[in-house]
Amino acid sequence: MATTKKISLSEEDLVNALKRQDTIAIKALYDMYSGALLGVISRIVIQTEVAEDLLQETFVKIWNSGSSYDSSKGRLFTWMMNVARNLAIDKLRSKDFKNSNKNQDIENNVDFIDEQRKVNFNADTLGIKDLVTNLKPDFKDVLDMVYFKGYTHVEAAEELNLPLGTVKTRVRMAILELRKKFN
Amino acid sequence: MEEVKSYIESGILELYVLGQLSAEENISVEAMAAQYPLVSAEISAIEIAMEAYALENAIEPSDELGDKILARFTSTNETVVNKTQDEPKIIPLYEGANDDRKIKTLSYALVACIALLVVSVVSLYTLNNKLNTAHEQIANLSTEKEQFVRTVSKLKFDNSGMENRIAMTKSNEWSTVKLAGVKDSPNAEMLVYWNKTNKNILINYNAIDLPKTDKSHEYQLWALVDGKPVSLGVFGGDETATAAIKQMDAIEKAQAFAVTIEPMGGSVNPTMDKMVVMGAI
Repeated sequence: MATTKKISLSEEDLVNALKRQDTIAIKALYDMYSGALLGVISRIVIQTEVAEDLLQETFVKIWNSGSSYDSSKGRLFTWMMNVARNLAIDKLRSKDFKNSNKNQDIENNVDFIDEQRKVNFNADTLGIKDLVTNLKPDFKDVLDMVYFKGYTHVEAAEELNLPLGTVKTRVRMAILELRKKFN
Repeated sequence: MEEVKSYIESGILELYVLGQLSAEENISVEAMAAQYPLVSAEISAIEIAMEAYALENAIEPSDELGDKILARFTSTNETVVNKTQDEPKIIPLYEGANDDRKIKTLSYALVACIALLVVSVVSLYTLNNKLNTAHEQIANLSTEKEQFVRTVSKLKFDNSGMENRIAMTKSNEWSTVKLAGVKDSPNAEMLVYWNKTNKNILINYNAIDLPKTDKSHEYQLWALVDGKPVSLGVFGGDETATAAIKQMDAIEKAQAFAVTIEPMGGSVNPTMDKMVVMGAI
């Protein structure tokens, strides 16, 4: 991988390659988005090993379900991100995962944290986190829960004891802040 | 337009992009987006922001993981990938389901074997018949050979008897006594040779024509000396003889010779009514 040149294709080419099951699509998608997808997964499921397995599952699912992607309904990355998020949330809520989590003692958690350090963090991540942190705490909490922790907005409303409309507005405000930053 | 604006401001589009809506809500958002370009433009803006956010928040996977994941797609073809999916695994009804080609080949081989077997059996049968014929021919030939050998030995036997007879006739040493048939066997005849000097008696099967005896009887030669019969020994039919000439007991003097048929081994006294030939000197 380190010696291979990274592939980058336009969204249209990517979608076409994916739909005709050309392996170049998966290579390009991996090169372009594996980090972003692992970032999303890792914030829902913090165990590195599990997150890595989920990343693999995500690409398998993208490959196998590529034909069901409809570009009129949204961008390819949005679809991929939701595939990754759904797999991660399903894993988080699965019985065996909950059980294995309960069994983890403190010692294992220490090992686990050490393991986490092996992951290559994107240097820019810190800046973005600061940005999110700089959001109003009200907005930050809601976006954290819905985007990072795998809560549904309904669950977030219950957890934060807020009306559903308020949660929606706060998610929108947080994202508007991000849009100002990126768009 | 006011309606569209409040729709956008409700925050539903953000939830749509975040995959937080139900299938029904998704359909209604998609319908709105299709109808109002403002809505679809808003969705795109949210998507781009979230995509940029995700990219900026990326955690790069290790090279090992990348190699591992991509190997699944590049190693062979999509079937490798599909195997890992939750698709139902195809389990053959019976274990050899994938060996159909093998079975086909084997059935061809079986047919060939059967054909070969039939050919083998037919040729074996034919050969066996020929072999039986050959055996019969060999048996016939050996029978013929035996007959021929018998004929030859009989010829030799006769020939030696004839030669001896000629030699004795020429010689003055031997006197020939002719024995003629009696009442029960008028056609019987026989010659007895009597050496004048050493008084030896010889008979020649070549010069014997007597009635056949059964297996429990044989011939006995007698000499009549001064009215009394003296046994000169027994002899069998020519089929039991090993040589054409047979030497009997010698006798100093005699007036006549006779042959009777006696039980095997001979008798002390001749059975007179079984006399077959007789001849006076």
